[in-house]
Amino acid sequence: MKKTRLLQVTTMVIIGLFLISWMVPQDQKKPGPWEIPSKYKKMENPYKDDASLNKVGKMLYAKHCKSCHGSKGLGDGPKAKQLETFPGDFSTAEFQEHPEGVLWYMTYIGRDEMPSFEKKITDEEDQWAVVNYMRTFAK
Amino acid sequence: MKKFIIVLISVVFAVSSAYSQEEEKKKDKPVRSPFGSGILIDNQTCEIPTAKTLEMLIQHRFGKMDNGIKDIWGIYSPGANIRIGFNYSILDNLIIGYGLTGRKMQSDFQIKWNILQQTRKNTIPVALTLYGNMAIDGRDKENEGIWGMNYKFSNRLSYFGQIIVGRKFTDWLSIQLTSSYTHYNLVDSTSDHDKIGIGINGRARLSAQSSLIFQYDVPLKIKNISEQHDFINPSKPNFAFGLEISTSTHAFQIYITTADGILPQEIYMFNRNDWTKGFSNLMFGFTITRLWSF
Repeated sequence: MKKTRLLQVTTMVIIGLFLISWMVPQDQKKPGPWEIPSKYKKMENPYKDDASLNKVGKMLYAKHCKSCHGSKGLGDGPKAKQLETFPGDFSTAEFQEHPEGVLWYMTYIGRDEMPSFEKKITDEEDQWAVVNYMRTFAK
Repeated sequence: MKKFIIVLISVVFAVSSAYSQEEEKKKDKPVRSPFGSGILIDNQTCEIPTAKTLEMLIQHRFGKMDNGIKDIWGIYSPGANIRIGFNYSILDNLIIGYGLTGRKMQSDFQIKWNILQQTRKNTIPVALTLYGNMAIDGRDKENEGIWGMNYKFSNRLSYFGQIIVGRKFTDWLSIQLTSSYTHYNLVDSTSDHDKIGIGINGRARLSAQSSLIFQYDVPLKIKNISEQHDFINPSKPNFAFGLEISTSTHAFQIYITTADGILPQEIYMFNRNDWTKGFSNLMFGFTITRLWSF
């Protein structure tokens, strides 16, 4: 009798574990549309095509952005999995179509899990260097 | 005559205003992050976070490495020392801080001021920084072995002041030279109240985030300020080298060092470990910093 009871419990535990194994953690949310104030949409990049800033942009991206956005901007950095919202794929045409000022706003003002970097990258030239570097991720 | 003076003042003002605008355009900017953090092992750097930034630091020393595998080169050793500190940038070039250190139960107040920042076009070729602190020894006042028969609060105090001259030579190499003055209100009969020291430290960048770091600080044996006839057991130079990983808001340094003190005055005045004697006088240490901007 005891053996039958033990068998029943064991069977139920195994079935339970089997069912749980089909459950997966909730997927990351897809990022929703940004509300960008109009002045940023018209903002121009004074350092566009400034090749002297290539290295600066790469270094700053590696220090401040890579841990979430990944080395190629695919949103696959080591900290990306901890975020509730997918940090975005910078290589897509959809992302690259954003005007310069919009990229600047998204990068330096931020929202929700994307922190503001205005106080971490304070120099305007450096800020645009990172925007320029993000342009190099285009497929 | 009056009209002439008014016209003259107006012209001078207009010219100086135009000139200052032109100057503003040509303004040479400070070099980009010469160091990964405001601290480099035991030394201060010319780096100060932007105004309204809070920095938390944890500095740790394990025990000496002389027991080898028995205590995992000092990691299990009871001789550890630790400091937790908080700094706040009041201005872009001025930071104040407070910290607590385990050994001697010290609490310290500190201030650092960047007088000059090195600029990109070499208009200012070096960074010039002043650092000072005051530490309070918090051990029990009833302990006559430390304070003697006549306890006075002022005997708990020690001071440290330093001038730091630094230069970022290339994108990957930054070096600093330091000169410092240490004063203790109370020392035992075999030590001096005052000590002058010099030092060199720097970092060699390996990538955007990681760098090799080193320091070498030498307490000088100056007869004029010494109370000893002979330097029988003087404080020893402090040598350390390690690796720094610096990210957006963190810096992590792991190193091998000579000094088991953490506050600079403790190191310059009381370090008796000699790095030339190998493992028996060296220990592992690490420093972690975290920044919050407001």
